[in-house]
Amino acid sequence: MTCAGWEERVALFAGGDLGTAEAAAVERHLGDCAECRALAAGLRAGLDGLREVHAEQLAAAHYAAVRGRVLVALANAQQRRVVWPWAWAAALAVAAGAVVVWVVKPSTVPAPELPRMVATAPVVDRPALGQSRGDRSLTVAAPRGRVVRRAAPARAERAVPPEMELPELAATEIAPPAPPAAQAEDPPLRMVQLATADPNVVIYWLLEDRGERR
Amino acid sequence: MKTLALAAVEAGDEAEGWDSVLEAARAGDRAAFDLLMRRHERLVLGTAYRLVGNLDDAEDASQEVFLRLYRNLGKIETGNLGAWLYRVTVNVCHDARRRRPNTVPVDEQPELVAAGRDPQQNAGDAQRKALLLRSLRVLSEKERAALVLRDMEGLSTAEVASALGSSVVTVRSQISKARLKMRDFVERYSRRRL
Repeated sequence: MTCAGWEERVALFAGGDLGTAEAAAVERHLGDCAECRALAAGLRAGLDGLREVHAEQLAAAHYAAVRGRVLVALANAQQRRVVWPWAWAAALAVAAGAVVVWVVKPSTVPAPELPRMVATAPVVDRPALGQSRGDRSLTVAAPRGRVVRRAAPARAERAVPPEMELPELAATEIAPPAPPAAQAEDPPLRMVQLATADPNVVIYWLLEDRGERR
Repeated sequence: MKTLALAAVEAGDEAEGWDSVLEAARAGDRAAFDLLMRRHERLVLGTAYRLVGNLDDAEDASQEVFLRLYRNLGKIETGNLGAWLYRVTVNVCHDARRRRPNTVPVDEQPELVAAGRDPQQNAGDAQRKALLLRSLRVLSEKERAALVLRDMEGLSTAEVASALGSSVVTVRSQISKARLKMRDFVERYSRRRL
């Protein structure tokens, strides 16, 4: 066993880590203590061995490998720095172009197909202009009046009975011909043409305007 | 600028030459940075090898150290470069060992240059060196770092303290404990073999 109180100082002494006064004290102790001398000799031998091991060079290939990897990593990083701004600019340009096209260009989405409907012409209870009440045939000649196109849906027409509501029909309102002067007090009739998906089926609707219209 | 820096180094004007090299590397000169790496590669890879214990991890750590050096070129002065590299190497190796705690420390010496010895002497030396390096295993991480920097790299106690971010007193304590542990390990191992 060595002197426990001296061990740490001897370890520092072996590596030359003590100041002059401390080193002198340790030297005096080593002169008196064979075990601590052996300890110091063992420590010195170990340190010399470590320095010798560490002095041996690694193969040059290891250093070259590290340098090569570092330079490749730097080159890749630089390439990313060069490419990314352009990539971002290109992406932004594409996005801006898409927004412009979306805003400026009219919608190319095809109009939804109108529902096919089977409708029967409602019975017109009131004789049309110049017709007797018994005559139920509805003749709609080529209207002379103005044709007003309205945007669908035509369901806003108050004269359409609720059970006949046709939500997606395109409607064309045909202004009736001007009534004769003698019948001027009769409320005017309006005709609504309902177009269906089937071009062979066209629904005409006669509406009586009782002055509620604003 | 690169030419001036390289010429200054080649002409042996150390301080001014390396200042110029550092300046050129800061300006993005890869050849100058390569020169910096060549100058400090033994410091970085050698220290990392002793700290992490195997060459693969040591090369990874060295790569990370040099990449950090490149990113921090603007903040480092030539006079502080060595201390900075030691500090960063220790930190990077510390992180690497935390990520891979089962890393096998050095107990073999791959591809060391050992020429001109007779085989019997080589075998005895190799065994002794392997034993010394294996003794590093018994040290704590801080003790090992202190020992490697002080006794293998030859830094002063104050420089070791600076690199490890510790006080001189702490480093002296770590170094003395590390030396005693190593000596005990070698002695016990030798006694067992006898």
